[in-house]
Amino acid sequence: MRERLGIAGNPRWALAIDTRKCINCKACIVACKAENGVPLGKFRNRINEEFAGSYPHLRASFEPEQCHHCASPSCVRVCPTGASYQRDDGLVLVRDADCIGCGYCIIACPYDARYFNPETRVVDKCTMCAHRVDAGREPACVETCPSRVRIFGDLHDRNGALRYTLDGRRSQVKKEQTGNHPQLYYLV
Amino acid sequence: MSRGVTRRRVLAGAAAAAATAALAPQLGCAPVARRRRAAATATEVRRVATACELCPNKCAVLAVVENGRVKKLDPNPLSPKSRGMLCARGNAAIKALYDPDRVKQPLIRAGARGEGRWREATWDEALDFTAERLRRIKDEYGPEAVLFSSTEGFQEEFFKNFGLAFGSPNILRHPTLCLASVNLAYSMTFGTVPSFDLLNARYVIMSGANRFESIITPDTMDLIEGAMNRKAKLVYLDPRFTVTAAKADEWYPIRPGTDLAFILAMLHVIIAEQRYDKEFVATRCLGFDELAAHVERYTPAWAEAETEIPAAAIVRIAREFADAAPRAVYYAGRRSSWYVHDFQMRRGQAILNAIVGNWDREGGVVPNSRIALGELLFLPWDEPTTERVDEIATRFPLAAKGDGAFLQARENVLAGVPYPVKGWMVYKQDPMNALPDRGRTQRMLEAMDFVAVIDTQMSDTAWFADVVLPESMYLERTDPLHMLPGIWPVVVLRQQVVPPMYDTKPNLEIIQGLAQRLGLGEYFDYTIEEWIAEQAAELPVDNPLEYLKKHGVYAPEGAPFYGKTLAPGYRFLTRSGKIELYSQRLAEAGHDPLPVYHPPTPIPEGSFRMVLGRKATHTHAATTNNVWLVEQTPTNHLWLHPDPAARLGIAEGDLVEVTSAVGSVRLPARVTPEIRPDCVFMLHGFGKKSPQLRRAHGNGACDADVLVTAWDAVSGNAAFHETLVRVRKVGKEEHRA
Amino acid sequence: MPEPRWGWLIVLYLFLGGLSAGLFFVSALATYLQRGSDPAYPRLARVGALLAPWPVALGSALLVFDLGHWYRFYKLFITFQWRSPMSIGAWLLAAFAGITLLSFWSWLSAESLDAWVRRLPRRLRFLRGINPPWRESLRRPLAMVGFPVALGVGIYTGVLLGAVQARPFWNTNLVAQIFLFSAMSTGCALLILALSLRRAGLEAGEARLLFSLDIVLIVLEFFVVLPYLIHGALSPLAVREAIGLVMGGPFTVPFWVLFFTLGLLLPLVLELWEMRPVLLDKETFHPSRTLAALSAVLVLFGGLVLRYVFVFAGQVSAFQ
Repeated sequence: MRERLGIAGNPRWALAIDTRKCINCKACIVACKAENGVPLGKFRNRINEEFAGSYPHLRASFEPEQCHHCASPSCVRVCPTGASYQRDDGLVLVRDADCIGCGYCIIACPYDARYFNPETRVVDKCTMCAHRVDAGREPACVETCPSRVRIFGDLHDRNGALRYTLDGRRSQVKKEQTGNHPQLYYLV
Repeated sequence: MSRGVTRRRVLAGAAAAAATAALAPQLGCAPVARRRRAAATATEVRRVATACELCPNKCAVLAVVENGRVKKLDPNPLSPKSRGMLCARGNAAIKALYDPDRVKQPLIRAGARGEGRWREATWDEALDFTAERLRRIKDEYGPEAVLFSSTEGFQEEFFKNFGLAFGSPNILRHPTLCLASVNLAYSMTFGTVPSFDLLNARYVIMSGANRFESIITPDTMDLIEGAMNRKAKLVYLDPRFTVTAAKADEWYPIRPGTDLAFILAMLHVIIAEQRYDKEFVATRCLGFDELAAHVERYTPAWAEAETEIPAAAIVRIAREFADAAPRAVYYAGRRSSWYVHDFQMRRGQAILNAIVGNWDREGGVVPNSRIALGELLFLPWDEPTTERVDEIATRFPLAAKGDGAFLQARENVLAGVPYPVKGWMVYKQDPMNALPDRGRTQRMLEAMDFVAVIDTQMSDTAWFADVVLPESMYLERTDPLHMLPGIWPVVVLRQQVVPPMYDTKPNLEIIQGLAQRLGLGEYFDYTIEEWIAEQAAELPVDNPLEYLKKHGVYAPEGAPFYGKTLAPGYRFLTRSGKIELYSQRLAEAGHDPLPVYHPPTPIPEGSFRMVLGRKATHTHAATTNNVWLVEQTPTNHLWLHPDPAARLGIAEGDLVEVTSAVGSVRLPARVTPEIRPDCVFMLHGFGKKSPQLRRAHGNGACDADVLVTAWDAVSGNAAFHETLVRVRKVGKEEHRA
Repeated sequence: MPEPRWGWLIVLYLFLGGLSAGLFFVSALATYLQRGSDPAYPRLARVGALLAPWPVALGSALLVFDLGHWYRFYKLFITFQWRSPMSIGAWLLAAFAGITLLSFWSWLSAESLDAWVRRLPRRLRFLRGINPPWRESLRRPLAMVGFPVALGVGIYTGVLLGAVQARPFWNTNLVAQIFLFSAMSTGCALLILALSLRRAGLEAGEARLLFSLDIVLIVLEFFVVLPYLIHGALSPLAVREAIGLVMGGPFTVPFWVLFFTLGLLLPLVLELWEMRPVLLDKETFHPSRTLAALSAVLVLFGGLVLRYVFVFAGQVSAFQ
């Protein structure tokens, strides 16, 4: 599996998430739905809720999650038509015209990031709002958040907010054991 | 040999049949590809700055319009009230605009009230009808026989003015159902209603005020930044383990209704240990000695018995709070419609804030700054002189008369005192859901000769009205400028993004239509453009109107200024000119001049106290038909602690019946330790009666059906947490209705 | 996963694919084994070859029409994504289809073909060429060429699942073997069933071959399934939890009762019972039609259930 952390000179877009600040307000989910025309019942992002403890010593945590735009994306690897592909800037996308809707990529994703779109009848997922990124803007989920939970940026940009944050704070990724080299960093 | 031919024929035939059967429905796929390619060509994109109306925060929004359709609402980073964010409700406004259940033209009742038979009418017909009925009531009973009730919004002013011009003093506004008590408490203490500098505070105590969950405001964002990044300490008291509880440093499941005990004990400790700001108290405050004597008996040990918060914790928190001052605040909260003594509890808060000297300091309690707007001068009418139906001048003399006392009004109207009220005009409000005891509100509606509702959807109240006058949705309207005071004040513009989809009008035009027919047209003889132009003229920018249309907001530059009111010789807007810890005015009105603790109603064995709360995905009862918001929060459940649930034999998802003194409802149970064992909770806004709200109709349960009527003694503010209920299981999970 | 993306259609397709592979496997074997200069089991070879193309054709057709855009299935054949088991499988299937159809054609009886040609309308007379003299000589070469392709098809259905690292229930190297042996076994079973439906029942020689083959395959399945479970129980937590789906979890009954007992154990016992004259006394034997058909149906049923459990349980399993 060829690792694609980005070629020097290209940006490598990624997200860092500060779950401490997430208040589970669902703004990111509805913003994504509006921005990307996500059908009802399907989601390109979600918030994993976890409750623990016993009364009155209770704890709750909220963890946003979406496509991790992995460096070794298993979804791209298993696609039989090459519809699932990765750009030089690291974004993992789907060419709608080539997608036959077999659903193999949906199953191959360790993060359950993909879904079958019943309207277009191809596979959809978070595109990191590539259309916004290409226009120099942030993804909708990043922009809309009251808590600024997500930090979007270029991993190669030493002076950018993302690199600065990741250099200054410990972070971890999810399900490393699957070997996908996910690029969604959870600040610890 | 013929066997082989037959076999092959059969196989071939079967294959052909299968192929045809499977092929036929799929052939429709081909045109989809062509359609999508066509859409990718010419796209006309406009970006229009406006202000959201899905909740009272009025965030600045950039509406993205593609080929005449609102495709996305982006946050406008220029407003300090929204700081470049847009919450779930704001994003879902698109689905409110394109909700097929919207009222699309004026409707006049064609059957019995509440039967749901409507006939579509033109605006002329509907306005003629409404004006005629109003005139009839005015002629027979006088103009005061018509109530004008509304919820806040940029066009509310026109509705209120129409009521006054009509001659009715009975204007009822939303604060009497929400924050009248806290506003009055802070006004009586500081002479004004301040904001809280949560961004710079180091220590924050909150009673309820579920800032991280119930509504997204600048306080939400500042508190997140303050608590998470700047390491401020958050102490949170709430019978429920809310999102705010999850983020707080300390959460205490306080016994509901005992917050004042906690505050008085804190005062006791801080005064006894001399941790208050002596200089500030001496120079700016009145009544400290009375206060000190008053709180002597309110010891932490006593408070522990009342609140179920350990005395040691109360002492420690009091010390930490005082030591962190002036960057320490006891947050006032927004919705203060809790208990019948709520005003005094908020007074206690204000007093506590005052003596630690956090007033008008960075990280403290800061009076609002304002921006001067111009005013269109229009013909003034004679202010109505008749006494209000809620008798507010005698019953709640200190309360804000412009807002009224809604629940007292309802009682009086039903009793026919002090005079009959026969008409009810409602704007942007759903009293059937907003008031407690929905059955009682329905009786009030049914007792009216005439009810007209101005709304965008067929709310439960509209369902029981005689006329529904549909207002255009906010994206279809231009509204007056609004100045939002605060530590960072801002002026926002709401301007039309798309033309009205249906035969609807902005409220001003509806009011003008009614005014003309009632001979009041001269009082509303202006256009919205003229109104806004006058307002904008005072702004200190070139071409202010163009500026606002382009940017959507005007926010003055520069850091907030603290300390204006700390200048020597400054006179607070109180009778004494000082911050009134002890209030003579309260004493004269027959109320406790210093907050006296009254315990809440004890909860009988086997009963529960119903507490209310909100969620980031719904605005009260107004959004439970919005498809994107319903997708996130589809229905409501009854929160019940596992211990009483086990005693009652109730498991997660079981259908339960909740019964109070005024009604009962059924909904599924959510068995969770996130609530005190003696309380239950259900989210507001569900269980609608109106069948025209298809997603909300019959979905979940309506809390208003069980809430009892109670109000705060000083402000008349509704008290929603005084309801005691019994719960029993009526069905297993799979039999949920 | 929030909901399984692959459902009964995939289960059916994997089953039918394996079935075709197994049918061709047995047919090729029967073609290859000679008695003198003639194939040793000509009828077995013929029936297997005639049946082989159709289950996978049906499964593939159903699959194609279930795609998001069915007419795009050709895109599978304009590229080769060598890292995608599905791409490899698509090409393998194309080869398998070609070979099995040619083999089908080569195994048709000359008489039936002639009769068919005679009944052709004048315009289609050019199809007379459908029965060239060298037709039947293709049988052995096709069997030899197709044998590895059939094995490939049988294995690939397992690799399709086994190569997915995200699903701990699948991600072992034993899934391919489980599916291969099951595929071969279902092929044997269908032939046993087809032949036992004849009034005369199974011929002794055919029965010996088929039963022996199936017994060996079932035993091999044991040797793969049991280590798969044992190893899984000794693996990292995610795999242990995945295996738990069949060891106490929601798929326990289908796996152990329907697949293991009814689909493996019972047919094994029945087949051993049928074969006992041969095993013990070296007598020729006349297998009971009923018992043969019964054990065949159970094997086929078990093969379907095996794929059902794997497809559905796999999509439930996940890493933490």
